[in-house]
Amino acid sequence: MVDPNMPDTQTEKNFGHTKNNSERSSFAMLPIPQSRFVIWLNIALSLVVATIGFGVGFGEGYLSAQQIILFGVITAALLFLLLNYVAIIFEDRAAAAESETEAETENRLKRSRLLWRSNIIVVLSMSALLALYLLLTASIEEFRSIKNLIAFLVLELILLFAFKVSGYFASGRSAFIGLIVLGALIVISAFSIEGFLSAPNVRAILLFAAFLGIASVGQTMVALLGGLDLSIPFVIGAANIALLSLITAGVPSYVAFGFILVLGGIVGFLNGLISYRLQGQALMVTLGTGFAVAGFTQIMTSIGSKFAGNVFGVVPGWLSNLAAMNGRFFGMKFPPTIVIWIIIAIVMIVGLRMTSWGRNLYALGGNRGAAKLLGISELKYWVACYVISGVFAALTGALLLGWSGGAFIGVGDPYLFTTLAAVVIGGTSLLGGNGGYGFTVIGVLVLQVLTSFLLGIGLQYEWQQFIFGLLILPMVALYGRSPHIRATV
Amino acid sequence: MVTQAQSPNIYLLVPIALMAALLGTAVIRGPNLVSPAGMGAAIIVAAPLILATYSLMVLAVAGRGTIDLAVGPLLAFINVVVVKLSTSGILISPIATFIVALGLGMLYQLAFALVVIYVRVQPIIVSLSGFLALTGINLVILKRPGGTAPSFMQDWGLGTTIFSPVLLILVLATAGWYLFTATTFYSNLKMTGYDERAAWTSGVKTEVVRIGAHLIAGVYVGLGAICYTALISSGDPTQGQNMTLTAVTALVLGGVALSGGRGGATGALLGAVTLWLIGYVLATFNFGAIQAFITQMIYGLILVASLLLTLLVPLIGRYISFVSPWSAFLVLGFVVIGIMLQVSTIGNYNEAGNLLVQQPLADRYFLVEPARTVDEGLAMTRVQVFALLTCVAAICFTVVARLMGSKAEKRRMGLFQYLFILSLLLALFIVIAFRPESAV
Repeated sequence: MVDPNMPDTQTEKNFGHTKNNSERSSFAMLPIPQSRFVIWLNIALSLVVATIGFGVGFGEGYLSAQQIILFGVITAALLFLLLNYVAIIFEDRAAAAESETEAETENRLKRSRLLWRSNIIVVLSMSALLALYLLLTASIEEFRSIKNLIAFLVLELILLFAFKVSGYFASGRSAFIGLIVLGALIVISAFSIEGFLSAPNVRAILLFAAFLGIASVGQTMVALLGGLDLSIPFVIGAANIALLSLITAGVPSYVAFGFILVLGGIVGFLNGLISYRLQGQALMVTLGTGFAVAGFTQIMTSIGSKFAGNVFGVVPGWLSNLAAMNGRFFGMKFPPTIVIWIIIAIVMIVGLRMTSWGRNLYALGGNRGAAKLLGISELKYWVACYVISGVFAALTGALLLGWSGGAFIGVGDPYLFTTLAAVVIGGTSLLGGNGGYGFTVIGVLVLQVLTSFLLGIGLQYEWQQFIFGLLILPMVALYGRSPHIRATV
Repeated sequence: MVTQAQSPNIYLLVPIALMAALLGTAVIRGPNLVSPAGMGAAIIVAAPLILATYSLMVLAVAGRGTIDLAVGPLLAFINVVVVKLSTSGILISPIATFIVALGLGMLYQLAFALVVIYVRVQPIIVSLSGFLALTGINLVILKRPGGTAPSFMQDWGLGTTIFSPVLLILVLATAGWYLFTATTFYSNLKMTGYDERAAWTSGVKTEVVRIGAHLIAGVYVGLGAICYTALISSGDPTQGQNMTLTAVTALVLGGVALSGGRGGATGALLGAVTLWLIGYVLATFNFGAIQAFITQMIYGLILVASLLLTLLVPLIGRYISFVSPWSAFLVLGFVVIGIMLQVSTIGNYNEAGNLLVQQPLADRYFLVEPARTVDEGLAMTRVQVFALLTCVAAICFTVVARLMGSKAEKRRMGLFQYLFILSLLLALFIVIAFRPESAV
């Protein structure tokens, strides 16, 4: 619908504008509204405020009269200018609205609506954060500190970044968000916790991140195929006690270590084989095998032992050195587990990206049917992923033995859902075909730094868990939303 | 040619057979089960698990692979909150307790549903998030097991009688589900679970259905938490994880499809009871120190085995389509109740038989003393009269039912089988509860 009169109105409006501007320019630099009433109102308002200022100033008693008069005049003048400026803007807008055509009005409204709609979440979340901060500041005395203010500003910035900038990243959006969160966490922790960036603390964070990271290798691989492996914690615990009982029984420690890895692989093999036909229920299958493995290992280790379920023994020195906090890596003051993790991470990331094996894995996770037509054996990859998962879970269990120096079946319990959480926070889709180990590394680091931060501000384990739980949802909601059903029909 | 339609409930065959075998073993290994105290204790111990499994079942039927991993922590959360409130003297009346328990359950599930629908995150992630958050907050509310349950619950957990309030809750919850299955909402729910897109295109308001399913699940969790509180008479923030794992196992054992659209209270009930029976049977064997490990291992193996069995169900259905789950239930139920009657009465009625070895063979191997002709005619003890009457009544009932069934040209006898089993159960209860004085 094109209005034939439109060009005319357009020019008229433009003309009107220029006329207004030319009229106004005669009053030098001062912005003066057109309406007399508004001018007088502004003068009156400025004078009233200045008078109040006078009254208060003289009431205080210790200010000199000259100062009061000077500030009063300046206040009145500035206020007058400011009010005039605001009045002009409103007048201009009213004039523009009058001369505007209907289509233009609609267009403008639509644009502002669109702007509002596209930013509603940012605005809402930012203002919610602001409200929370103000509430906390108002109610808690100790909360009013410069550190918290910085933390708050950083958080607001993150929100802005996460919403506005992440849109430009077609893939790896989750990694971007994860990195931002990681950076922000480190900044906040460094500001608010004494000695957060000290060498021992960083070493501890990296060591625990290494344990979690190695345990999450399998979970990532399995998730890439759309499966889940909940047997990881049980395998960790079982490997932990089985290794020590083997060593105590007199098996050479290197042999025992290798044997445990093989056993882990066998458990993974069983997992993969059984769950292959039950892919939807991989969660249950692995839970079941995990239970069975943990129970079986405990039975085996407590045969002939007076202390059922407990294994006592001496952990060999090389294993302690490998994973304990005071371990040395070629004389350098950090445990070799961290290096092992870094090597594993590099191999995994490169392997998944570069090798045909890795590409095939993505192909299978993305589309089974298409991958099958390419001649990729689904069974082989499915089972292989579970075998890898089992081996790495066993490795984690063995390393944890070196770290703690004593065997305990429950050592894997914290890994029941944290491996899953690390994978999910990193951004690997549980539906398969999307993500990678690089993402999981970010997820692991976020979890570990957050843990360290929460510990640093004095929160107990249960609060940490609570916050982890609440953290997963928004993280996933930022990038892992499934389409509306309307879009899938 | 009669068309052999396969029963839609063929998946129930596995739990039914398993439960019959286990119940038989349980009764033989631990005859204590068949007594008012044994039954009462069994019901109270199994009730929280059953209700938690119901809750999982409703969500599983609603589809999208919803397995609420947080069911155990949620149950513990409600338990802990109720105990905390009652310890500090705020929560006293039963009505308020129920409102708090059910309200918390429904509130959590409502939030769950809203997140799944509007934030559109996979349910498994939401439940994972809920699991971690609730496990954490439980320990914040109550550091270690302790506290006291509301005073009106004190005698619920004793388990000295069969007919406790816990049984009432259980019966109401189960009956409620069967009533619910008669509604259109239920068919919408099943349809949504089976194929959400198809349901949505055919005009089902899938959002409303999902919210409704979650609210029902919340009610079941609330009831489960009340039963759990009654069972332990205190608060325990640590058992959430175990409860989740057991309830999920029970769900799978009961043949509820995790992919959605299939399942019901029958399967969930059978699964939960079967799982409880496994624990009971294992407890009757004395493994000493490694008891807990054996239980853990067997649970795991059973979970895997029952999952593998679900693969076989279509196969079973193809080859033995003539066996309906209900007739299997009937036959096996008859056998098990026979075993229970035998076990529960063997000590009472066999004394005479054991003493008089020279009695005829029939005397020694019958359950009750056979009637003997004496000089004054046919003399029977009260027990014998009762047994005879029960048998006659049961046979009459079956025959009448069968006749009516065939007259109505129904393929299955439906309700009558339930009634038959019910009459047998009633007989069992009467035998247990009113032991004749002659037996003592």
